[in-house]
Amino acid sequence: MNLLSGIAFTTPWLLLGLVLLPILWFILRAVPPTPTLRRFPAVSLLLGLKDDESISDRTPWWLLALRLLALAAVIIGLAGPVLNPSRDQAGSGPLVVVLDASWAGATHWPTSTRQLDAELTKAGRMGRTVAVLQLTDPQPLVFQSAEAWRSRLPGLTPMPWAPSPDQVQTALADMQTIPDSFDTLWFSDSLSFEWQSDLLSAFETRGTVKVFESGQPVIGIKPATFEDSAMQISAHRSAAASDQNITILAQGRDPAGTQRTLASVDLSFSATETDAQTALSLPTELRARITHFEIQGQASAGATALTDDSLRRREIALIAGRENREGLELLSPLHYLTKVVTPSADIIEGSLLEVLPANPDVIALADVTNLTALETAETIAWVENGGLLLRFAGPRTANSDLGRKTEDPLLPVRLRGGGRSVGGAMSWGEPKSLAPFPDTSPFYGLTIPDDVRVTTQVLAQPDPNLADRVIASLSDGTPLVTRKSLGLGQVVLFHITSDAESSTLPLSGLFVEMMERLTVSSGTKSTPASVEGTVWSPTQVMDGFGTLMNADTLPGIDGPELLSGRIGPNLRPGLYGNEKRVLARNVMTTDTILEQARWPATIQVQRPSAQQEQPLGGALLSLSLILLCLDVIASLLLSGRLRNARVVAPVIALLLFTPHLKAQDASDFALEAAHELVLAHVLTGDQTVDEIALAGLRGLSDTLYFRTSIEPAAPIGVDIERDELAFFPLLYWPVTPSQPAPSEAANAKLNAYLRSGGMILFDTQDAHYARFGGTSPNGQKLRQLAAPLNIPPLEPVPKDHVLTRTFYLLQDFPGRHISPDVWVEAAPADVEQIEGMPFRNLNDGVTPVVIGGNDWAGAWAVARNGTDMLPVGRGYAGERQRELAHRFGVNLIMHVLTGNYKSDQVHVPALLDRLGQ
Amino acid sequence: MTPALTLRERSEAEAARLPPLLARAEQLAGTVLLGDHGRRRAGLGDDFWQYRPAQLGDSKRMIDHRRSARGDQQFVREREWQIAQSVMFWIDQGASMQFASDKDIPTKIDRARLLGLSTAILLARAGERVGLTGTTLPPRRGNAQVIRLAEAWSVDHQTDYAPPEHKALIPHARAVFISDFLGDLTEVETALTKAADRGIRGVIMQVLDPSEEAFPFQGRTVFESVGGTLRHETLKAGDLRTRYLDRLAERRDHLQRICNATGWMFGRHDTGHSAQTALVWLYQALERGAR
Repeated sequence: MNLLSGIAFTTPWLLLGLVLLPILWFILRAVPPTPTLRRFPAVSLLLGLKDDESISDRTPWWLLALRLLALAAVIIGLAGPVLNPSRDQAGSGPLVVVLDASWAGATHWPTSTRQLDAELTKAGRMGRTVAVLQLTDPQPLVFQSAEAWRSRLPGLTPMPWAPSPDQVQTALADMQTIPDSFDTLWFSDSLSFEWQSDLLSAFETRGTVKVFESGQPVIGIKPATFEDSAMQISAHRSAAASDQNITILAQGRDPAGTQRTLASVDLSFSATETDAQTALSLPTELRARITHFEIQGQASAGATALTDDSLRRREIALIAGRENREGLELLSPLHYLTKVVTPSADIIEGSLLEVLPANPDVIALADVTNLTALETAETIAWVENGGLLLRFAGPRTANSDLGRKTEDPLLPVRLRGGGRSVGGAMSWGEPKSLAPFPDTSPFYGLTIPDDVRVTTQVLAQPDPNLADRVIASLSDGTPLVTRKSLGLGQVVLFHITSDAESSTLPLSGLFVEMMERLTVSSGTKSTPASVEGTVWSPTQVMDGFGTLMNADTLPGIDGPELLSGRIGPNLRPGLYGNEKRVLARNVMTTDTILEQARWPATIQVQRPSAQQEQPLGGALLSLSLILLCLDVIASLLLSGRLRNARVVAPVIALLLFTPHLKAQDASDFALEAAHELVLAHVLTGDQTVDEIALAGLRGLSDTLYFRTSIEPAAPIGVDIERDELAFFPLLYWPVTPSQPAPSEAANAKLNAYLRSGGMILFDTQDAHYARFGGTSPNGQKLRQLAAPLNIPPLEPVPKDHVLTRTFYLLQDFPGRHISPDVWVEAAPADVEQIEGMPFRNLNDGVTPVVIGGNDWAGAWAVARNGTDMLPVGRGYAGERQRELAHRFGVNLIMHVLTGNYKSDQVHVPALLDRLGQ
Repeated sequence: MTPALTLRERSEAEAARLPPLLARAEQLAGTVLLGDHGRRRAGLGDDFWQYRPAQLGDSKRMIDHRRSARGDQQFVREREWQIAQSVMFWIDQGASMQFASDKDIPTKIDRARLLGLSTAILLARAGERVGLTGTTLPPRRGNAQVIRLAEAWSVDHQTDYAPPEHKALIPHARAVFISDFLGDLTEVETALTKAADRGIRGVIMQVLDPSEEAFPFQGRTVFESVGGTLRHETLKAGDLRTRYLDRLAERRDHLQRICNATGWMFGRHDTGHSAQTALVWLYQALERGAR
């Protein structure tokens, strides 16, 4: 009975219907299948033939079984069977729903929301009032109806932090204000946190506590570090349950800017370990693109590790003005700089023009003065694109004319010649120490060692903007480091040498920190000391699911606080920026320990299991439907009506492939428009005009078919907003005052159509009472329609226009109205006149627009039976006019389709003459 | 609508049906004409028979001047005196003939008419007189008669199993009976005996549908004749097959016996097969009977 114990029925008495089955068996057996009626002339030969009595043709037993099974399925299905029915006892009284709502539950959030919804529904049925307490965002408890809370469910989201002691205390304090006892449902994220047990006992004193949790270990990913020329990725889980494999995805932007998975690496926890580690080696370019790592299939802030500068290796070009290859290495002007940047950056060597195409992040020029004009220009362009030019002064700088008279674009300030020495044998005074950094300086907060002394320095000319550009100065106020921004980048000048000749600064740790602040060297781990005094503003922060959001409205965070503070409402995990530096704060730090929540044995803990309550009624009813379908086929088969496969095959095919029927819609238009030459008109929305236009094009198509080698298919109307225009050589556009102006997108499409050789025939249809360019409603509408289009200068069709002779020789172009005002693209003013014919070269010599008001479609229009739809003129003259209208149509289509061929034909005598024939 | 209008409408519909039948029949007949016979039978009365001296009473117009110019005597050119045969057709127009088991197979009546008309065309070209049994269309010569035949055969009857028409049989003529012969055989026997009494010989052709030849039915079935007059219900159609085929064979034996007794020829045709073989057989059977 184990199988049956898992099944319950909502309306068990319906099962009594099963008693009917044996009765039905007898009834069905007694009735033979319905006979087939057949026409058969030779029935006269059959008369008198008796059936063999011993074989009575009854319904075969298997068909009967099929039918009974179908019926049984219906009865059982209607009785409402439920697999794994829940046997909860619903309580009464107020209910408090406690949600951890931390990032750890984000992965299972949909499940727990469903569970919560079910619990709220249950509570609603019992009429219990409910208060919801979100531990990561505690608010005073408010008891409301369960329905009210259900409607607010979608607004509950997990926070990207765990409940802090403060928040738990707040929640406990809130709870004290409630005098009544209540039951508690605790949706835990399976992680323990401080004060959890206190909170639990506080709830237990008020009523029963029931805990919901997923029970699965929570996995977090720690920030990636860069060691041994590979990225070290480690993950941590809350419980060492069993072997577990996860996949870490490195996400980033591809060159097109689209977020995609750049690399993935597998990580496996052994059964006893809670930590796992792996290394991922990627090319520098690819590595620089990584924005974050995430665990596949885990959407939580803890399973997302944002990357910052620490993973980037900058490319630094070091160029010295004095190459001293033979000298001692310690005397090399670049020695100390190389030492500073080597651990965290890739060094590029070469001449300036060689390194610029590699687009390094930083170019350091040590006492370089002699830049050529080309080098200067290219370097300026590079700096303006975001490069950092780091210059060091030196004897050459002091003795050159660089930046004397005017400010050099590649120097932050004007320089004074000669430089100065302090504290030397021949000079007065002591070597100078550094003044404290002003709070506007990027170096603000760095501790200045006492033993840093400066003996030689290049001085700046006192300029009005000098004070703004000094970011470090000596104790006597003379500038030590100056900076100016240039485009997106900046130029920084150290007024001392890069070696230990003029100061002891390169020997001190301060130099390293200064380089780091200037983002010359990065990738070293930020320490509280190195970020002392800086304020970091959040650029993007994560929500509980690990999704990045803009954080423009959040306040800035102090550097040390950012590094060591506890993640909470005031310090959200995300990306923080200071100057050019980017620092990521993740939920998990390298030493975060996750601990599985432990619940006392007295607490009822419910974990989602495979045995979810599952109604089976639907499945049974569909089973019965399938059986009945089978019964239909079997019955047909038995009665011999299924013999004709040609009847059955389409039916079965129809059943199987019904969804395919509607798949073809989209390409139908393109297929119809492109499979043959199709004339088209613009749908104006005025039904009469559209009908006439369609009939007109039909008449023109027929005329072309009969008289020329152009054989168009049936014309169609196009919606310029929706349909692709590229298929049509000609668009006939009847202008009506009521039609809407096309949207921007449609105008762009029309312009593209005109540019690519299409032609639009505008027809205002009002030539019988209005002159061209007049103020008739149609004319005004035409102006409105044509204003956004790229229409070239126009002129009335000249007597020698190719349109007058592409097929018929025409003098004028009547439609239903006779007006000489038909306008086409004007010939350029300076075209060559050959036999009175100017060459027109735009669009293969085809005018992109023809504008008139002669209502050509009206003259062309034929009804489906081939009779003319609208009268033209009077009597024979009218028929002649209609004939001329048709000829104009033929000429027009010929003109569009043949391009400059016909106009070249006109010029054949001239061409032959040129060839000397 | 007035009767005249409906008549006109109906006759137009009939006329629309006629050309295809005629055309198909002509086409079918053409295939036979190209064979080794037929040309031998030159046009009526065109064959030279003999020259005989002109006698009193011969009109001057009858004198053959080419022969007479050789001598003094005048000759008359006599042609062979050829008398045309009369061939009478009876094609079963009953509802039972309007049946085809599949849409790709022509109905029996369609095939029967095609065969009859093609034979008639062939005979008419050979100078014979063709017509219907009974009084509606006595045998006549010429192409117009073929059209009249086609007209007469474009009318469907609604009764099942029409008996052979055997009134007004011309003595010593020839006859072609085409039917499925599923009705009462005594009528056939009567007709054939009566014809034999008058010295008429001919051909009977049984046209059957493939399903009537094979009886491929299963399961509980109610069989109904096309006219709806006869019904037979069976629970297992498959069991009836052998007995049905026995009865069909027996019926054919009976027809053969009648033919043997009256000197007629008996042919069978399955509408599933090509019409041409049946036409060739029909034509040759008529020729053979003529000698």
